[in-house]
Parts: sequence; C-alpha cells; structure tokens
Amino acid sequence: MTTQSGPQAARAGVIHDIGYRHYEGPRLGRAGIIRALGWHSLRSAFGIGRGAKAKIIPVIAFVLICLPAVVNAISLATHGGQVVYYDTYVFQLRVLIMIIFIAAQAPELVSRDLRSHVLPLYFSRPLRRLDYPAAKLGAFILACLALLEIPLLLLYLGSISQAHGGAAIWAQTRALIPGLLVGLAWAVLLASIGLALASLSGRRAYATGSIAICFFLSWALAGLLRGVTSENGMGAGAGARLSGLVSPFTVLDGLRQWLGGTSPGPLPRPGDLGVLYGVMFLLMLAAAVGGLAARYRKAGIS
Amino acid sequence: MTAPVPLQPGPLQAGPPPGGTGPGPGFVAAVVETSALTKRYPGGVNALDQLSVRVAPGITGLVGANGAGKSTLIKILLGLLAPTSGHAAVLGLDCSRDAERIRARCGYMPEHDCLPPDVTATEFVTHLGRMSGLPPTAAKERAAESLRHVGLYEERYRQIGTYSTGMKQRVKLAQALVGDPQLLLLDEPTIGLDPAGRASMLDLVSRIGTEFGISILVSSHLLGEIEQICDHLVAIDGGRLLRADTMTSFTQVSQVLLVEVDEGTALLEAELAARGLRPRRDERALLVQIGSGETYDAVRDAVADLGLPLNRLEQRRRRVEELFRDDVPDREGAA
Repeated sequence: MTTQSGPQAARAGVIHDIGYRHYEGPRLGRAGIIRALGWHSLRSAFGIGRGAKAKIIPVIAFVLICLPAVVNAISLATHGGQVVYYDTYVFQLRVLIMIIFIAAQAPELVSRDLRSHVLPLYFSRPLRRLDYPAAKLGAFILACLALLEIPLLLLYLGSISQAHGGAAIWAQTRALIPGLLVGLAWAVLLASIGLALASLSGRRAYATGSIAICFFLSWALAGLLRGVTSENGMGAGAGARLSGLVSPFTVLDGLRQWLGGTSPGPLPRPGDLGVLYGVMFLLMLAAAVGGLAARYRKAGIS
Repeated sequence: MTAPVPLQPGPLQAGPPPGGTGPGPGFVAAVVETSALTKRYPGGVNALDQLSVRVAPGITGLVGANGAGKSTLIKILLGLLAPTSGHAAVLGLDCSRDAERIRARCGYMPEHDCLPPDVTATEFVTHLGRMSGLPPTAAKERAAESLRHVGLYEERYRQIGTYSTGMKQRVKLAQALVGDPQLLLLDEPTIGLDPAGRASMLDLVSRIGTEFGISILVSSHLLGEIEQICDHLVAIDGGRLLRADTMTSFTQVSQVLLVEVDEGTALLEAELAARGLRPRRDERALLVQIGSGETYDAVRDAVADLGLPLNRLEQRRRRVEELFRDDVPDREGAA
C-alpha cells in the first residue's frame, strides 16, 4: 500500500490550490522551542502583539514605577539630596505597582491558554510537560525584573549624572548592586507566586482576583500584625520583628535587612530573627514553583 | 451519500489478526504499531485492552463508538499518556522513550475545542509553527501555506472567535499541518460539523493523505463517513481490536448479489433459502452473500426453475458499516 493510492485522488480536485511543499529547512530543538515560547510570553506580559487595550496596565505600571527615579534626579539637581534608595526604592509604591502588574498580567500568560484549552497543542509538540511552565515562569520573572530594575537603572543614571568625581560614581555603583539583587529576589518570588495563583484558574477575572486578594490581604495582615505587636511601645519586640513573615513583600524586605540592607523599610529590623525571613523566602518560593509544576504535571491534555 | 450511522458496539465479527505481525514480502514499515497495549485508568476502567495493531502508510480510519479508546490510543501514541502495559511505536520510534522525537514528526488535531478566540488564525498557527520547531520566517510562511491548504484565505487575518465551527476545525487542522509532519493524528475531525462541512473536511483529509503524501490516522465514531476516504480501517470497541485491514478487503469479503424479480419475491426467497443461500430482503429485492462462483449459478437456477420474471441481477459491495451491524436487519436500500 502506498500513500498515493486510493480512489480519492480523483474526487479531491475541487478546490484550494497548487501543491503542497514539504519543509526541508532547519528545525529548532527543544531548547530553541522553549526560548521561542519564553520570548512570546515575555512579549505578551507587556501586551506586545496584542491589542492596544492589553498594553494599558503594563505601560501605566511602568511609568508610575519610574516616577520616583525622575523625582530623585530632580531633587538631586535642585538641592542635592538623594530621596530614593536603591535597596528599598519606594517600598509602598513598588508593592502597589507589582500587585497591579502581576494581578493583571500573570493571567495573560497562563490563564488564557487554560481557558481556551490550548495546552494539548503545546503538549503534542516536541516539548516536555514542564517546559511550558518553565518558559512561562522564566518570561514572567524577566518581565517583573524589567519593572523592578529599569527604575533602579534610571535612578543610577540620574544620580551619576549629578555625581562629581570617580569616588562618588563608585559609591553609587556600590549602592546600586545590592539594589539590583533585591530586585531580582522580588522578581523571582513575586512572579512565581503570581503565576502559580494564576494557573489555578482559566478565568481571567478569578485569576486576577485571587492574586490581588492574596497579595493585598497578606500585605495588610503584616501591617496589622506589626501594629498590634508594637503597641506596647517597644516597637521591636520579637512579635513585631516576626510580623513580616506573613506577606511576600515583607518577607522580601526582611530578607533584604537580614542580608545587610541598611535603608529603613516597613519592618523593624529583624536582627537575629532575620534568618527566618531567609527561610520563609525559600519556603514561599518552593511552594509557588512546586505548585506551578504540580499544576502542569496534572493539567488535562484532552 | 448515506448519512453516517453511529457505530454500534455489539457482537461483531472478530476478523483475522491485524495485517501481518512481521516483515514479509512486500513489507512496508508501519507508521503505527502496538502490541498488547493496555491502558487502565484509576478506578479500573480499561480504556485499551491488549490492543495489537499495525497501521501501514496511507489514510487509516480508527473507528469505534464513543469511549472505545480512540482518544486514549492517540494520546499514548503521542507519548502524552503512559500505557499501563504493552508497547507502542510510531514511525519506528518507541512511544515511551522517544516521545519528543515522535511529537516532532507528528501533527495532532485534538477532538475538543482548543483555539483562543482573541488572536487571528495567522498569529495562532504561526506561533504553533514556532512551537513545532520552525524558525520565525519559516513559521510565518508555513502558517500562511497551511491555512491556504485548509481553505482559509482572507479570513485568516480575523480573530478566531469570529469563525464558524467549520472554520475553526480548519484552523485546528492547519496547526497540525504547519510543522510538515510525517503523520497526522486527527481525533474526530468532523465532530460538530454539518453534512456539507463534514464532506469538505473529509475531502481535505483525503487530499492531505493522497496529494501531500502525509500518512493519516483519523478517528471517528461515524464509520459511514470515514470509509469514504480510508485506505485502511482499524475498528476498536471497548479498548479491544475488532478488526484491522485494508479498505478493499473489508469490502471484498462483503460482496453481495442483488436479485430483483417483478413478482414472487417471497417464493424466490424460500427457494434460495432451500438452496442454502440465506437471502435477505432489501425492499423489493433480495441480497445474497456471494460465497463462490456457484452462488451465481444457484441464483440463476432458482429464478429459472420458478419461472420468475427477472428484473435485475447485480453484484454489489456492502458498505463497511454493515459489517458492524450484522445483527441489525438490513436497511441499505435507502442508499
């Protein structure tokens, strides 16, 4: 039996067109496909390749989060004071912007595919099961990183443009590096939690809601706990120093302070309890990444 | 053209073992080969039960009622599901060990809806071309070509959400085709389509199989439609193989002789039965299974002996679906 036989050849002359051409060119391997998926996802995290509406939130978030860097540059230019620090940036604003960005864009990366059941089409291609979430996570970490680090770089540029002499520039550079590392920790943890939460629902509104609620509530709870435990006037008792463990944002700040960050943050200095923030950071990260992996190991292929 | 009749599970003739178990004269490498393939789902449901089948290149129909195990088989072939036991190979590659290489050479069209509504067909198929390993430019070109091959032209710049069911099925087929596969696995490609849509989808599948030189395994629970385009047929029920063979042998064993007389049909029926021919009624005519050359003689003699006015005597092929409902009274006169 050959592929060309059959009585159908005659009947098929109805429509379409000229013949079929086979593809003889190069093909990407698995790594190349993962990169392509990651690039595609990174673009969609900023609404690129989608309609204008999809770009609104990413653009607003980006502009807002860059404002302090501009303000700092103006401040330096007018009366010479550094008002924004690299390792904390503007903490409250950063929390707010990251919540909005992640709640809005994480579902864009994963919930859409769940909603329209596209996953079988990915899984039937030369990818392994966990390549899909890995590519998505990598892309989203990069997206968050852009939002966290580009303002720092602007801040740095603004600062060195006002700096006099190599020593001042060197001081700025030395301050920038821990700031970039803090940004990296933020991006990794928040992107993981955001994607894990988004992957639980194919409905965008639910995904967005669950991310916003988790982030906001835990953030509010941390503030509340701190208020309650600080009321005895001491302000830095063990209770207050542990109050930040309930929210990823305060965990990130606890981690920063434990690792030597000096700028004042939303938390009292955790001191010797700081190691707990390091542990909590890893636990949250492991739970989020593990949850995401488990979600896609189980995900339906029908 | 007959309306497709849902395949009825039931006591069916278990045919000879699948077309050969090893290389022989005229051996053609199988595109799909399974041996004692079993898939037991948690809860004890046997989706596949000791299925051994060999699929040659060409268009092969995979027929069975809903729940017969067709989708499970396709997913195992793609390495998306692990079999409980047994062995499966696609294009000579082992489904458990070489799943990625298999998926690089196969296109898969799932049964269910799998298209995002808010992107254009061009964007979507291009992206999935990238996911099949095509470089950016090639993905764009092949996406345009695939969509053209399935009959989507200007519409391809519209969002998929605005498409009809038939157009969506075509996009699903285009995304399977975009990576230039050696084998297409199509799971119920005609599902949800109206008769005209079904006919043009079958036409398309047939074209891809014959003109594009791509082997196809196409599943359906509608035997009537699938037999129109297949070179081979694999029938499964309850996860077991009912029969696997070429289309021609399916229909050859089913040669019947149609006898029509102007009057005395009942007499003739009795006479033929007396001669051991087991005639069956088909409206005004009688159908007789052709056993050997003697069948013709027997029919001729019966008509002559009774002196009946013979109106029509013709050899006919029974459609495959009739093989699967031997216990059902014949109704093919409607054809």
